[in-house]
Formats: sequence, C-alpha cells, structure tokens
Amino acid sequence: MVRDRHFWIVVAAGLLLGGLGVLLAVWGNPENSGICVSCFIENSAGALGFQDNSRMQYLRPELIGFVLGSLASAVIFREFRSRGGSAPLPRLIAGMLLMIGCAVFIGCPIKLFLRLTAGDLTALAGVAGLVAGVWIGVRGLANGVEPGPADRGGRGEGLLIPAAFLFLLVLLFARPGFLVFSARGSAAQHAPLLISLAAGLLLGFIAQRSRFCITGSVRDIMLIGFRSYMLWGFLAFLVAAVGLSVVSGTFNPGFYGQPGAHLEHVWSFLGMALVGWVSVLIGGCPFRQLIKAGEGDADAGLVVVGMFIGGALVQSWGIAATAAGVSLYGKAAILVGFAVVAAGCLLFRERSV
Amino acid sequence: MRITQLMRLFIVLALLLVVAGCKTEGKRPVVKIGYMLCNSEEETTQRFLPLTRYLSDKVGVDFVMVPVDTHDFEKRFKAGEFALTHTNSLLYIILRENEGVEIIASEKRGKFGARTAGAIIARKGSGIEKLADIRGKRLAFGPMLAPTGYLAEYDLMLAAGINPENDLAFYSIPPGSYKHEKLIYGVLYGKYDVAAAPVLDLETMAREGKIAPDDFVVLAQSKPIPYCTFAAAKGTDPALVKKVKEALLALKPADTAEVDGERLKVMKAAWIDGYEELPDSDYDPIREMAKRVNMPPYQKY
Amino acid sequence: MFKDTFDKLCWASLAIVLIALLVLLGMNAGSEGKAASGLDKAVEREMAYHARVELIAKLYGPVDGLRKEGKNQEALLKLDELVRKYPGEAHGHILQGEILREMGALDEAVASYVAGVKLNGDYLDDKSPLSRRGDIQRLVDEGLKRIGARAAANPGNRTIAASLQKVNYLRSRLAGGCE
Repeated sequence: MVRDRHFWIVVAAGLLLGGLGVLLAVWGNPENSGICVSCFIENSAGALGFQDNSRMQYLRPELIGFVLGSLASAVIFREFRSRGGSAPLPRLIAGMLLMIGCAVFIGCPIKLFLRLTAGDLTALAGVAGLVAGVWIGVRGLANGVEPGPADRGGRGEGLLIPAAFLFLLVLLFARPGFLVFSARGSAAQHAPLLISLAAGLLLGFIAQRSRFCITGSVRDIMLIGFRSYMLWGFLAFLVAAVGLSVVSGTFNPGFYGQPGAHLEHVWSFLGMALVGWVSVLIGGCPFRQLIKAGEGDADAGLVVVGMFIGGALVQSWGIAATAAGVSLYGKAAILVGFAVVAAGCLLFRERSV
Repeated sequence: MRITQLMRLFIVLALLLVVAGCKTEGKRPVVKIGYMLCNSEEETTQRFLPLTRYLSDKVGVDFVMVPVDTHDFEKRFKAGEFALTHTNSLLYIILRENEGVEIIASEKRGKFGARTAGAIIARKGSGIEKLADIRGKRLAFGPMLAPTGYLAEYDLMLAAGINPENDLAFYSIPPGSYKHEKLIYGVLYGKYDVAAAPVLDLETMAREGKIAPDDFVVLAQSKPIPYCTFAAAKGTDPALVKKVKEALLALKPADTAEVDGERLKVMKAAWIDGYEELPDSDYDPIREMAKRVNMPPYQKY
Repeated sequence: MFKDTFDKLCWASLAIVLIALLVLLGMNAGSEGKAASGLDKAVEREMAYHARVELIAKLYGPVDGLRKEGKNQEALLKLDELVRKYPGEAHGHILQGEILREMGALDEAVASYVAGVKLNGDYLDDKSPLSRRGDIQRLVDEGLKRIGARAAANPGNRTIAASLQKVNYLRSRLAGGCE
C-alpha cells in the first residue's frame, strides 16, 4: 500500500484539507469554518443576490478555487471528460437536500470534522448521523437504488460549470455593483482573497487527483475497512486538523459556547444523516460534487446548481439553524427531505424480476 | 330466543353508555388553595380562578380557590383551611419560618421576571430630587406586609439614615382596596409628597396609560426581589406538589381554562408572564430586609 | 468543429460578440455606470444602515438621556413604551439588558440581550457602530460565574438551567462561526 503513489496522494489530500481547514480560519475565515462548502455556497448565493441575509453574502474564492483547481488537474492529467445526462432533475433536487441537511447541522461534512477536531463535541451527533446516513445509502445501493443510468457520454455540457465558475472568478475581481458583500456578520470574516483562492485551487487540484472526500472516506471505510486508502487520508485529515487546532490555540473542547453550533442533537443527527444518505446515492458529498463538476461531470454540475438554489432557500426561508437552535421550518425541511429521498429510493430502484 | 339475547345485549350496552357518560369529577380528591387578596376578593377571584381550573385540569385534582385577607392568612392556614398557598414573598417567608411551607414556584410578571423592586417616588417638579429631600414630607406606604410597597422602601430609608417614624411630617397607608394605585395617584395629584410604590404597579400603570413615565422622579429603588409565590404546607403529598410545580412551570400564554362555560386565557386573566423555579435562598434578601426593618417573622418587641 | 460554412459562421459570430463585449466593458471601465444604473447595492446598503443607526440614536435618545442622569427606572419605563412601539427592533432589548444588568437583575438582563442578539447580530460585531461586544463578553463572564454557581448549587432547577443556556447561547455567538 505505502509503495503506491496514489496512497500518498490521498494522504496528502487529507493533510492539506485538514490543515488548510484550520489555517483558513486562522487567516480570517469564520471560526471552525476554514472550509465549509455549504456555508461558502450560502455566502456566494447571497453575494450573487439569491438570498438577502445581509450577514451571509460573500463570493467565497475557495469555492471557485475548488472547481477551477479540479479543472486544471483534470486537463493537465487528461482526465477531463464531458459527461452527463443521468437523472438530471433528481440530482438538482439532491443538491438542494444536501444544503438543507448541512444548514440544519450548520456545516458540510468537512466542517463537521473541523468542528469536532476543534473540540466541538456537539458535532458528535452529526458524526453519528453521517455514518448512519452513509450506511443507509450503501444499503440502498446494494439493493439496487440508482438515480439513473450511469455516465452517458456528453458533448459539451461538462464545460458549463467550469465556465460558470470562471465567470464567477471574473466577477470576484471585477466587483460589479450588483455583487453584494457583507460588511458585518460571518460573511464579513474571510481570509485574504488571494490566499483563499490559492488554497481553493490547491485543494481542488489534489482532490481531483486523489478522489478524496469525507463522505467517500466514511463509505469506503464501511465497505473496505483498513484496505481503503481513504481511511489513511481521513486519518491524515484528523491529525492535521487536531494538530493545527492545538498549535493555533483554537482547540476548545466542550459542548457549550462553541462557534456556529447548537444543542439540538437529534436535528444535528438527522441533518447529517440526510447529507450522508443523499451523498452516497449521488456519488459524493458537496465538496466532491464541486470537484467532479470541475472535471466535466455535468451530473455533478446539476447537483452544484441545486446546492446554490438550496443555499439561497435555506437562508431566505429560515431553514438554516443558528446557535439558538433549529427553526420549525428547518425541522420540517429535514423531514420533507427524508420523505423525498425515501420516495426516490422507491422510484429509482432496479428490482430483480 | 334470539329476541331475548338481543334484548339482553341492548340492556348491557345501554348500561355501559350510562356508566361511560358519568363525569369523573367529584370523585377526584379536593385540595384547597389559599390566595392572598391583592386588591379585592372579586378581583383576586377573577384573576386566579382560571389558573385554579387550569391546575385542576392538569393535575387531576379538584382545586378549590379560597380568597384570604392578608392579615388572616397565617391564622387560617394554621387552622388547616387550605394546603397550598399563593402569597407575596414576605408572607411566604412568614409561613416558611413559622409553619414550614415548601416553595413550589415563583410568579413572573413585569420587567424583572420573577422579581420586582420597591421604589420611593415623588412628583416631577415638586422640588424633591433626592432621598434626603423627603425629610419632613408627607409619605404614603402600601400595606404593611407588602414587600415592595412597604418593606423595601422602609429599608431604603433606614439605609439612607432616615427614620420614617421620626423624620417625616407623617406617613400613612391609604385605606381600602387598590392601595398601590391610590398612593401613586396620591403623589401625582399632590395628596402626598412621596410614596412607596411597587415598580410592578408603576410599570402596569404606565403601560395602561394611567400615568406617564415622565410624571415621577424615582428617588431610590431596591434591588429586585422575588414576589408572588406558590407554596405547599409541610407534609403535602410530594407527588401532588411535583405535579402542581410541573403544571405551573409548563404554563404558556395560549393555555386556557373553563370558567362559567367560557374558555379564558389563564396567564392573561391572572396578569402574569408565567412561573419560575426559584430556590428558597433567592428569598434571603427579603429575610435580611425584614430583620433590618423589624418585621415579621423576625420582629422583636 | 471547423468543417463547413455554418461552423465558420458560428466561430465568427462568437469572436465578434466576445470582441464587442470586451470593447463595451473596456469603454465603460471606471465610468459612472454603476451609480447611474443604481446597481451599487453595497453603497446603498451602507447608506441605509447608517440612516438606521441614526434613527435608532434619535428614537432611543431620551432613554440614553435618562440613563446618563442615573434615572434607570424612569429609563426602563420609557423604554417599555418604545419596545411596545417597535417590537421587532433589537436595540430596545439591548438597552433594556444594559439597564437591567445595572439594576442587578442578571437573569433578566441575559434574556434581554439574547432577544436583542437574535433579532440583530450586529451587536456582536466589532465593526458595527451598534457593537456591544465588550459588554456582552463581560455579561457572559459574569453570567457563567454567578448563574453557573447557582446552577451548580441547585442541580435540576429548570429556571436556572434555562438562564445558563441563554448565557451559553451568547457565549456561542461570541465564539463566532457561521451563522
């Protein structure tokens, strides 16, 4: 295993994701949110005018970096392949559900572990939920649940999402008047633009090479155990994140007074369970969807579009949880999410005759 | 044969219906709650009868409301007329020290939640600007057992070196009901120079538009202290006390109870914002005040 | 993709449109286009925000005046009027919290601050002119010490536990993170 170059790429991806996850918060991103794909998408949707929470609007350079870094890696290593057409609308909806689950937990699976490694013990409920969700998803796949026929070769649709993110990069530097950035609140907290962009590009690049993602690691550990490279990548992530949290003085173990966290453990569990379940069905967590969209996967691209719609809705409709807890709308949205996924499993199941 | 069987079945069903239709009320245990009169018996009944009915509904006991005059309260409690008490905090302390009652819950009302304060007020523009100015003036107190209408203000004056017995022109207590309102109006219209006003009454009167916040000068104000309190006689069934406490703490603005065929909002009727679980030690500042002012239950002759 | 006339026409169209776009943007770069189109949302928002801060200062000025004179109870009564008039405005709750704290009603002060911060998180921001971050930090420190001690001395007391939970909410908001 250790002689395989890919093993070390996966470990490096884990180290970088965990390390930069902590460092970006040290450099200015919100506490425990050095990397949080769902928060970044909510911020970016707000900056583009899709939601009007004046404290959650900033076009996060890291997000653009993830997609363009992945694009660069895929192009350099000749892995860019435009493909798509597998159950587009269900994937769009899945993207929205991912954001609902993340918003109720307050964070994506990467942030889940960044929170935990910074000592936020409320994240434990989310870990349990993610594992449970992944397990249900794996059981679903084993029983023939498949959103659509696998990878149909596409012509040019795989270029659309990288092109859209290239356009966002132009907007980021041109700063047209319709773009709105928060002057106060968590979106006003950000690392310097070029550092954020560079970190995003680096992570996008290595994540494309390694195929590393958090939910994928949980799934692979569940299926393959110690033989999975993802396990070692995941452990590298944890080591880097804990180590840097302790060194940077942001490690603060406990249940109370944690940044961007609430004490409604049942809903944290359910939020992450929804994310885990959906992620397994569509082949990756929010971060992985961005990476796949960067390498030409238009299906993942539609998930990304769905995540932007979801990111706007969770803020506009008051679905997103806060430190005060989960709103009624948030709870209802989670239950609707589970109902949709359960119904989807029934509809998209290949049954042996 | 079949007709006979059908007849028997009909009779059995009819009997079952009759039994099922019987109300269980009346078979439940009856527990009396003594409510200290606030302004009048009629007002106290109007305020707390819905709460009493609510408790009956929640606890499964037929609670009976007994309105009791403040000065008769301890005597009637001793006589066993009621097992639960709803009194002001000073009377609670008297019953606690003398009869061993156990606290159940404290009433929440006004800006200070389960606490309120006593204030010494004068009319704005009267020339009385600070507490020292009240020497030789006419002062109105609330009832003697009022923690924020008498005790707290008396204590404030003693702390400022003013002896109400010697240093005022005179002090009096307005007669009859609505004493607190009377003394606030008394200051506003010049009958008294200064008054010992519960902050709760000032808040309520300002909210109702009876007075304007700018009408008065607050010369001194006590620290917030607990106010109305539910307590249980020593030896009351702990399970019952627990249920009453749960019901009081669970009380929400939307909760209703039936009184004379009408459903009333319990909290609105009682003018309260709910109940809190204060430990008995939170009443210690009142104990200290009572000792300093030489009031029951620590009065020394 | 460059086989027939139609392909060539498409490429030509694409090139012409892109050049036109670059020329259009180049010609208008640095012009007053943003303001003229009324699309500079950030500036408009800042102006609205500052107008709001001014309005708050004007509305709650009498309360601040009374507080400066040491008339906390009168300020509280005045504030009651304003809170009823503008129930969704966080500033009244924050001021009420400040007054209640000065008057020794710590639990109620915490509850007021929580109500204010839930309505408007600007009171926690260093950058906001409305910022009360230092006061809230001191309130949390005092709350953890005093309410925490009461909670430890009275385990199972739901009222004190609820107060401590409110302190922890403020603590969590002070800790930052995504909202």
